[in-house]
Amino acid sequence: MKKILILIALILGISSTSALAHKVIVFAWVELGQIHVEGSFGSDRPAKNCVIKVTDSNKNLVHQGVTDAQGQYFFALPDTRDSDLLVELNAGTGHSGHWTLTKDELGVAPTPKSLGEKMAQKQDLEKNPSLVRILSGIMVIFGLAFAATWIKKRKKDKPNA
Amino acid sequence: MHISEGVLSGQVLAVGAVITIVGTTIGLRKVDYDQMVHVAILASAFFVASLIHVNIGPVSVHLILNGVVGLLLGLAAFPAILTALVLQSLFFQYGGLTALGVNAVIMALPAVLVHYLFLPLVGKSPKLTFIAGFLAGFFSIGFSCLLMGTALWFTNEDFLKTCIAIVTAHVPVMVIEGIITGFCVSFLLKVYPEILPQKKESGKKRIG
Repeated sequence: MKKILILIALILGISSTSALAHKVIVFAWVELGQIHVEGSFGSDRPAKNCVIKVTDSNKNLVHQGVTDAQGQYFFALPDTRDSDLLVELNAGTGHSGHWTLTKDELGVAPTPKSLGEKMAQKQDLEKNPSLVRILSGIMVIFGLAFAATWIKKRKKDKPNA
Repeated sequence: MHISEGVLSGQVLAVGAVITIVGTTIGLRKVDYDQMVHVAILASAFFVASLIHVNIGPVSVHLILNGVVGLLLGLAAFPAILTALVLQSLFFQYGGLTALGVNAVIMALPAVLVHYLFLPLVGKSPKLTFIAGFLAGFFSIGFSCLLMGTALWFTNEDFLKTCIAIVTAHVPVMVIEGIITGFCVSFLLKVYPEILPQKKESGKKRIG
């Protein structure tokens, strides 16, 4: 048991030096007549120099650009706003993310309150995974391992019963 | 290392899913159910390792630890890595469920490969044990990069260009994982040799 605890501490200790998330996060919102796009790999890790493609619901290209050093990109609202817009960020080597701007968002000027809600939504997306989530995942793994062992043992014991 | 959803073609996703199902089935048949706690510990390490990051250019790479998982588990690495990937997808939104099969192949197949390539060196001498661990960690990432390049190549990307980009981005991770795996295996051989497959088998023979 002591050896197993040492093993857990050794392997998980290696992994607990820095807890940061890895996923491509794209967030887009309308502000001051412009569409703002921000890409990141989580908090404080902007997706720099990544290609942004904006398409309408018929997959027609509406706009294309590249994010700056802060992972941001801005462009003027398109003249025709009769379709939702899909904002895609390609970070290369199989990493991409997307965000949908609904036509309702495009047509209405945002209020300070709605902008505040958008920013809160953005921060929520960029948050690192909580300790509860990490521990829940580990518990599920151990639960599955014990369930598999129990099922296997039951199968073994059945012919003898 | 996790390919995002919506990047790969349907055919590539289907091939990845089939290989994963076959690998996981074989892995579940081969796993020693008395040692399931080892599988769970290593699957947990793999699950958590992806939270450690290195930013290189526009790409953010993270630790994978498939080398140590493969070296110690062999074919059982397939179900262990698949379980961890499902949970990473659900809990951290990494990769995505449709790309799960391909991502499992990319990370589990090299893990199994390094087990057969480098495990015979483990235990010969302390120096060889560390070298075997280093090579397992280093090449498991290297092989994963090649598999990732192949998956992207079949989805209309330039194979050589993509592979160079992926390998270049992962060279620091290959070295870091090599060192971690080397130290891990050397340490485990000293304090908990039963986790190593050869030691487990020789122990069983002695008991028999």
